[in-house]
Amino acid sequence: MIKIEKRNDVPITLYFFTPFIAIILTILGGGIIFYILGFNPIEALKFFFITPISNLYGFSELLLKATPLCLIAIGLSFCFKSNNWNIGAEGQLTFGAIVGGGVALLFYNQEGFYILPLVILAGAFGGMIFALIPAILKTYFNTNEILVSLMLVYVSKLLLDYLVVGPWSNPEGFNFPETRQFSDSSRMPQLFEGLRIHAGIFLALAAVIISWFILYKTYLGFQIKVSGLSLKTAKYAGFKGKTMILVVFMISGASAGLAGVGEITGPIGQLHRMISPDYGFTAIIVAFLGRLNPFGIIFASLVVALTYLGAETAQIFLQIPKYTGQVFQGMILFFLLASDYLLFFKIKILNLKKNELRH
Amino acid sequence: MTTDLRISNISKVYPGCIANDNVSLQFKSGKIYALLGENGAGKSTLVKILSGVIRPDNGEVYLNEKNLKLSSPLDAKKNKIGMVFQHFNLFETLSIFENLSIDTNEDNKSLRVKINEILKKYNFSIDLDVPVLNLSAGQKQKVEIIRCLLRNPKVLIMDEPTSVLTEQETEELFISLKKFCDEGILIIYITHKLKEVLSLCDEVAVMRKGKVVSVSQTQNEKVETLANKMVGQKLAKIKKKDNISRNKDEIFKVKHLNFYSEDPFETNLVNLNFSVKKGECLGIAGISGNGQNELFQILSGEIITPDTSIIFRNKEIAKLNPKQRREYLMAFSPEDRISQAAVPELKIYENVALNNFKSSNFFEKGLVNERKIKEHSKKILSDFSVNTDNVDLKSQFLSGGNLQKLILGRELITAPELLICYNPTWGLDVGAINYIHETLIKINDQEKSTILISTDTEELLKLSDRIAVIYKGKLSKIMHSEEVTPEKLGVLMGGGSID
Repeated sequence: MIKIEKRNDVPITLYFFTPFIAIILTILGGGIIFYILGFNPIEALKFFFITPISNLYGFSELLLKATPLCLIAIGLSFCFKSNNWNIGAEGQLTFGAIVGGGVALLFYNQEGFYILPLVILAGAFGGMIFALIPAILKTYFNTNEILVSLMLVYVSKLLLDYLVVGPWSNPEGFNFPETRQFSDSSRMPQLFEGLRIHAGIFLALAAVIISWFILYKTYLGFQIKVSGLSLKTAKYAGFKGKTMILVVFMISGASAGLAGVGEITGPIGQLHRMISPDYGFTAIIVAFLGRLNPFGIIFASLVVALTYLGAETAQIFLQIPKYTGQVFQGMILFFLLASDYLLFFKIKILNLKKNELRH
Repeated sequence: MTTDLRISNISKVYPGCIANDNVSLQFKSGKIYALLGENGAGKSTLVKILSGVIRPDNGEVYLNEKNLKLSSPLDAKKNKIGMVFQHFNLFETLSIFENLSIDTNEDNKSLRVKINEILKKYNFSIDLDVPVLNLSAGQKQKVEIIRCLLRNPKVLIMDEPTSVLTEQETEELFISLKKFCDEGILIIYITHKLKEVLSLCDEVAVMRKGKVVSVSQTQNEKVETLANKMVGQKLAKIKKKDNISRNKDEIFKVKHLNFYSEDPFETNLVNLNFSVKKGECLGIAGISGNGQNELFQILSGEIITPDTSIIFRNKEIAKLNPKQRREYLMAFSPEDRISQAAVPELKIYENVALNNFKSSNFFEKGLVNERKIKEHSKKILSDFSVNTDNVDLKSQFLSGGNLQKLILGRELITAPELLICYNPTWGLDVGAINYIHETLIKINDQEKSTILISTDTEELLKLSDRIAVIYKGKLSKIMHSEEVTPEKLGVLMGGGSID
């Protein structure tokens, strides 16, 4: 017989240490998978984790991929901390990109310093509006935000699809499903010549600091914390529950919208179908790997970004599909959840004699 | 045949606490034994050892001089030790008969015959095919007792059996227990209610801090002597001063309070009307589950009901949320300390900040003012004698009594005009109960009012100036406490009517 008991006090150091255990286990698990596929595991892991960041360009690519992950995860941490399960960040990212991209397209043949801020604001606004849909449905009609936010992902993706092949497609684009190139004034300034890393990273860093401040130093953060631990207590304390749901969804949506607009004004420069390799979903893993802590999320977004890059190098050098990246992301989440389970619960094995079991 | 149960030198040590320290006791059939002690005295540990739930570190249990190996609840059942726990282990959606047939090997026909024999013998009137969720607590307890009786127990252990019963049900239970006793079943009755010990039991063993401190005949004992043994110090007897509040102003008035819920686990409230005067304690009695939860939440503002009028200090507050009501100097202490009134994972000072009244300046311009909250928390800890001064301690490390003192302190430090509390002493030990009762009386002495919703009649009679009973969402007429007796309350709580 196995008995599972809750542990009463989990040391905080161990709580922040388990993500590292999960990462180490993921690397070991990855090694085993490579071995089964017939590769030298050490060699393959080197291609996966070391080669991609062994030069400056690779390092810039790492930061480039970590930027949207970090932004989205920061926003999600507001929702998750207060028990609101927004898993539609991918949709909010897409919608933010649509609105921001729309503004950028308005100015496609104009130049001006004011254009980029406008585009960025529009993107954040778009994500925010899109996140408000599940939030309003949840607060006023008691719908389940998990379902609504997830389904809206496909709504926004199909809308983007329609726009890039239909009304917004590039008139000189030979019917490719893409819009015009944005003008230079709608593009994020690049930080270094020849590297794709752009000013969006500062948005992410600012988001980290602001969110740390909100979560730990303000009344709003306190309310979010209490509601996450006990909704009954939040109600008893008289927190405005509905307003808070709306606020956390708006923060989360705006962050995802920023990530979306960062992508299209940064490395992409136009709208097309594939503006995000599921950053919005992967950011859920980032948020949890970072323990919903703003600084933890920086670290987690770098780790998870590396799996994107590693998958690409592995595809080139080992001829294995780049979806290995998703396998690694899945393993991280799996090992994190498993080690969390062991962290919060202890398993006791009770030895009963045979006849007692049969009785 | 007589039964002789002997516990010899039982010890059980948990990390940081000795639950049972060399406990030896002897029981013989034909008598009802009381095991008396405060929370944490070690009664439950001892009972769990007897019922095989936990194993002792040391010591033996002998039944008729046979050494018992009790390593699982099944062993206890095999050795004919029956146990009725405080919380029932019944499947709510199954019928009584189905519940009883779960852990027997007997076929349904002969089981039914057997059960009917028991029902007849002890005058139990229960319909076997009714789902358990329709039963009252007393009836559920009967089902548990029948479950034990089906195994022809030699020993029957009752763990705090009356905590959920009405006065009438308690009396019925006592009659049954005496009958079982006459038939040779050894009965061990665990309680912390002194009067029950005196009226029911023949012998009483008192436990304190894991040790047996006294074994005596109940006829030689009085409430005070037992209480002193249990607590280990002379209890200052508190009795409320007569409160001449009849002609005072009404400070709080509720009209047309109706609540309708589609949730079958909630109780609808039907047209409640009452008022509270300055410096008065209005008690609301009732068995739990008769609408107290809903009433508390409506009074605190967690639930807003339409068409209800709540006047507090001449202002209509029925549409305000709890935080806004606090600004008008109301305070609330809910029943559920652990998941509602406080959050165990939060530190003490964070739990204090839950009562964020305007003048506190805990959150100036939306920012956390940690220094101010901590200062304020320190004051609460010392003013309300919580046994720590570390405001950074997580609340989960406070005992129930200390947590309740913290909560009451948090609510009272704003000097509210009205405190609404729901089972403030639930599950606490005598020392903490006394402290809380003194505090509640002090509030009234300072001309502040209280509404005390409680399932503990003794507490209500001690503290209230006027008492009403809530039954199935309806409020009885409000009576002055001197005309109320425990029996009258019991009748009303059980759904009967008086005069």
